[in-house]
Amino acid sequence: MGLHNVLPALAAGILGANVAWQAAQNTTELLRPPGAKTEDDFIARCIKCGRCIEACPYAVLRVADFSAGLAAGTPTFDARAHACRLCEDLPCIDACPTEALHPLATREDVRIGTAVINEELCIAFKGMRCEVCYRTCPLIDRAITIDYRPREGDAIHSVFAPVIIADACTGCGLCVERCVVSDPDVAIKIERSASAHAR
Amino acid sequence: MDISRRLFIKTTAVALATAAAGGSLTALTGCAAQGDSQGGASSSGGETTTYSAVCRFCGCGCGVLCEARDGRLISVTGDPDNQSNRGLNCVKGYYLAKILYGEDRLTTPLIRDDASTKGTPDGLREASWEEALDLVASKLRETWKADKTRLAFWGSGQQPITEGYLTAKFWKAGLLSNNIDPNARLCMASAVVGFMNVFQTDEPAGCYDDIDQADAFITWGANMAEAHPMLYSRLTARKLSGNVRHYDLGTIRTRTSASADKTLIFRPGTDLAITNCIANYLVSNKLYDEQFVNDHCQFKAGTENIGNAYEDDYDATEPGNTVDAVHGISFEEYAERLSAYTFEYTSELSGVPVADLQELAAVFAEPGTKIMSLWTMGVNQHNRGTWMNHNIYNIHLLSGKIAQPGNGPFSLTGQPSACGTAREVGTFSHRLPADLLVANAQHRRYTEAIWNLPDGYLDAIQKPGFHTVKIFREMSKGNMDFIWSAHNNWAQSMPNLTRFLGYSDEYRGIYDTFVVVNEVYPTITTEYADVVFPVAMWVEREGQFGNGERRTAVFEKAVDPPGDARWDVWVLLQVARRVLDGEAIDGQDAFNRLFGFVYDKEADDFVGDQREINRRIWEEYRVFSNPTMNERAAAINADTGGTFGATLKMEAKQLAPYDEYLKHHGLTWPVREVNGEWLPTRWRFADGPQEEGFDQYGVAQYGTAGKAAGLDFYKSTDHKPSVVFRPYEPPAEEPNEEYPFWFCTGRLLEHWHTGTMTRRVPELDRALPEALLNMNPEDCARLGIADGDMVRVTSHHGSFEIKASTAGRTEPPTGVTFAPFFAEETLVNLAVHDYYCPLSKEPDYKKTCVRIEKA
Repeated sequence: MGLHNVLPALAAGILGANVAWQAAQNTTELLRPPGAKTEDDFIARCIKCGRCIEACPYAVLRVADFSAGLAAGTPTFDARAHACRLCEDLPCIDACPTEALHPLATREDVRIGTAVINEELCIAFKGMRCEVCYRTCPLIDRAITIDYRPREGDAIHSVFAPVIIADACTGCGLCVERCVVSDPDVAIKIERSASAHAR
Repeated sequence: MDISRRLFIKTTAVALATAAAGGSLTALTGCAAQGDSQGGASSSGGETTTYSAVCRFCGCGCGVLCEARDGRLISVTGDPDNQSNRGLNCVKGYYLAKILYGEDRLTTPLIRDDASTKGTPDGLREASWEEALDLVASKLRETWKADKTRLAFWGSGQQPITEGYLTAKFWKAGLLSNNIDPNARLCMASAVVGFMNVFQTDEPAGCYDDIDQADAFITWGANMAEAHPMLYSRLTARKLSGNVRHYDLGTIRTRTSASADKTLIFRPGTDLAITNCIANYLVSNKLYDEQFVNDHCQFKAGTENIGNAYEDDYDATEPGNTVDAVHGISFEEYAERLSAYTFEYTSELSGVPVADLQELAAVFAEPGTKIMSLWTMGVNQHNRGTWMNHNIYNIHLLSGKIAQPGNGPFSLTGQPSACGTAREVGTFSHRLPADLLVANAQHRRYTEAIWNLPDGYLDAIQKPGFHTVKIFREMSKGNMDFIWSAHNNWAQSMPNLTRFLGYSDEYRGIYDTFVVVNEVYPTITTEYADVVFPVAMWVEREGQFGNGERRTAVFEKAVDPPGDARWDVWVLLQVARRVLDGEAIDGQDAFNRLFGFVYDKEADDFVGDQREINRRIWEEYRVFSNPTMNERAAAINADTGGTFGATLKMEAKQLAPYDEYLKHHGLTWPVREVNGEWLPTRWRFADGPQEEGFDQYGVAQYGTAGKAAGLDFYKSTDHKPSVVFRPYEPPAEEPNEEYPFWFCTGRLLEHWHTGTMTRRVPELDRALPEALLNMNPEDCARLGIADGDMVRVTSHHGSFEIKASTAGRTEPPTGVTFAPFFAEETLVNLAVHDYYCPLSKEPDYKKTCVRIEKA
């Protein structure tokens, strides 16, 4: 076997291994910028050009690292560190050359995922007056509302339970960024698979 | 391969950054675990001790339990035995333990040698206590000897009771100065003057239990959902229990409006007209409680067209010096004055639809409906704040819905001890302890009796001193030489900071005033301090708070203060000892005469431990409301010589022995001794069994049973509270072409006041990291401002930059804007005007006119 045959074979081997590895990576829970649809649609369109990342005025977006396999280099964000600010003009979508981020009429149409509250960890469900997620929500009273409930065994206090309205939640993650609970885990997270477009 | 060079560089950088973040994150977590207040998992040994305390923050006064181990607070949890919060807290209270452990606690006295460094984080050097105390005492003594009008103490509704009492005693009896005022002047002064004018006694007749029994709630310009979180939980519980209504009145929609049944948005200042409209409806349709009015009300009118304190000399000129004048009028005259306030006129003025006004007024006409009105800064921080307090009482008095369970106009307090210290102790420029006034001779005689001063000694302070705005206006003009503050952060919380912080060449006085600050953390105020005294914070010493329902509670010392930080009382007495050196009262050493009961001058030490010192101060203070403990005071209280023509009725505020408060985790005054038990009072002036919380002994001693609703307002002149007609007069500023927007400031749930404590709690800082300007989306669209844009807010007084938000946490109508004041980097008070209610001297933080431009 000549050298000129070895290189393509090696390359093919690496590629094959990568494809296999990538297939093993589940990237469907990576939070994608506004305008992304299903993970398959997004991966098929995204050319990893980084323009959305450069366009983000709050430096929220970053590239997925090697742990994302072949999706490394695609844009994502960590809501706990820096949530999407839901810019009125959605500059990330404007910057996308391939419609991996599909144009949206308004920011209220953004569907990054859906917030889900862990009621075991959330202190509001214990009767504390917190509801930080509710008050910080850019769509307050629409994407998060308060369910005022009597508190069991306590006639003089009520529970101000935050409730996610999945149909309105954009998945921006500001509630996750601001949640006061961190131990053992943040009491609210964004689940992408639960979002409206993924269902 | 699909990996371009650019991407390769990017991903590598990210991977490295992640590794770095992971590393530092691990280290951070390690640190946090040691100081974790909620986990409580400390690896070191040692006993855990539990102490009872009260939350450090708002006027709700929630009980908490502090657990300490190895000299460190390891947890703070709600006190399940405390009947007002039953183990619950808001998110601020949940993280209370962490306020003690910010990285930059002040632990050493600091001195500024070069006044030109004021207003910067630099210029303060470490000093010994001896040097700092000597310097402060010499400056105070020098000023005191030269010109007493040029010194002032600015205190707080966050100062514990015994500390406030001792400070007032030093200032009033030791220095013979009335230039002492608390930050409660910015908060509760309008409520206080309202109480005094209407009832001739301060603080509400009702209590928090009223919330559990009311049929209808009215919040007047009060965002209780954020500013009084646990009380709002209680209000909500009552609403969930059945057919209970909540009307929310305000100038903006808030989180309180979100759960109200109906929100009435009115044009700023027109609440005066709305209350008069309700009164007019009741009176003109004969829907008021006639029996109640006959038995309990007298009618008055007062000085009108009183203008505003635009000029510094306002108080001394017409009409400023006649604003307190009132005269009796007949019920018919009162009705006549009200008659202009028809639904139509009021609707046109306020912007509230006629139908909504009618619906609200009709609630007051329902005979069996128990109504609770709740208000705080929207009413008090108002250029007619005292008048608005009057007007709320007017409609409750006319309808007879007052001082009975579930029925009550209830003035909410902003701070943990606005009542207990600022008001009950009387750390105001016109007050003596227990509601007494410097201007009243009988009150001075009574105070002299308890302070063991010669008759007439306090005549030197019969003229009230400078109120808060006056202190700072004078300072800005270079007319103050010495200002000492404690438990406040005035360089952030005062209005008109552009003037007071010397931003303009015209007002540079702050650079020439010797500024002393007791503090726990660096603040904007310490940046202007010449000396900073590092002091014990919250449960680093024992103290007491008095909350909005007349409940006094002790918080025990749980841990020592850090480093060289000391108890405020020690600092005060060290300064007093130096300043009063060589001074005598009636031939006796002045310091010993005033403070010998707690401090041994020769030994230079307290005469007992902190519990004992607090007990001794309390027991002296308690004589004010227990005149039988002091023969000379008892005679003045009863006016046995007939000198004054009136009894003082000091028992109306009766306080219990110190240890009772520890035993009961707080008691509401008046507290009555019955068969060896000290029983609290929940409903003042209401006849009924003391055991059930009624004012049995007060009514028996000074009142008459059998009047309407079983009440006797025995502290009021002729036992009749005053219904005083107070008209609508416009705000101090109204929008114009140059300044077309109203700007309103306030508090939000996550942060307490100027944020010096809560912003050092990582969880709370994360929860609300920045102050935003809430704007109406239509206004934003018109000005080309997008959500998140930086804007510049400019008033006639000053200017600041802030990020605009249309997210809707508060939803102002067009033409109105709102921002909180907790963020020192967003100093909203640079633009807020300092025009105050002419009666209470409390500034109006809610109605500055501004223009807004994209920055």
